[in-house]
Amino acid sequence: MNTEELIEKLKVIVKPYVKDEEGFKNMTENSDFLNDLKINSANLVDVILDIETEFDIIIDNESMEKMLNVKAAIDIITAKLNEK
Amino acid sequence: MTGNDIVDIATAAAESNWERKGFLDKIFTQQEQQYIHHAAIPGQMVWRLWSMKESAYKIYTRQYGGRFFLPQKLKCKLLSETTGQVTIHNNIYQTTTKSTKDYIYSIARLAGEQPDLLNDCFGIPQQVYADQQNFIYKKLVASYAMIKDEDKDNLIILKDKNNIPFLYRKKQNLKIPVSITHHGNYAAFTIN
Repeated sequence: MNTEELIEKLKVIVKPYVKDEEGFKNMTENSDFLNDLKINSANLVDVILDIETEFDIIIDNESMEKMLNVKAAIDIITAKLNEK
Repeated sequence: MTGNDIVDIATAAAESNWERKGFLDKIFTQQEQQYIHHAAIPGQMVWRLWSMKESAYKIYTRQYGGRFFLPQKLKCKLLSETTGQVTIHNNIYQTTTKSTKDYIYSIARLAGEQPDLLNDCFGIPQQVYADQQNFIYKKLVASYAMIKDEDKDNLIILKDKNNIPFLYRKKQNLKIPVSITHHGNYAAFTIN
């Protein structure tokens, strides 16, 4: 899966939690989940659980710690998929 | 230094399903999950512990910089119905939590510190997010201006590169740490 495809999948996952529609419309690899999309931090847990389900991966604490933006999420998903 | 965090109970119920599989395990230590399971109202304990962690996190990141998302790293201990303690690495923060039927609100302080604190907790009009933010900023500036007898037009809230807010006096060298929290229809701030 390339970066564009991953971003499209992530968009579907984060959409229900986004508070900033403008930020969502302009979502790129550089978007920050909290600052740009205004996802509240409790919902970031939901984003992480949804990513685990969607990609059938486990996001351990070490990875979760960095899950603050789209780029980190893509890196982590890619790494976990490659481990399979 | 202080940090604060508010949870709108109705909004939390609508936006988060804490009973979702995996949710508690991602956020809470075993000890904290025990607090939740033994609480009279488990959902209330979930958000009390959450707001304790968030308020302590705000001080920690102000002290040391950097950001991370690992709520389990901030470990909560309850001391009474309203007070508690959050530990991360070797840092200890004291918390006070106010619980009403509408919101749960925690303030964290550095252990041993009793700062002179300006603080307010209030309902906010239902508007779009950006307007609510403006409403809170104006209220904070007005509170400070009134108490310090300053011109509110000279005061402005800005966030630094780590997204941490400060209250500035235009032109003159004043930079005061402020902590701002906003969830659903409630908001609060602390000014040190």
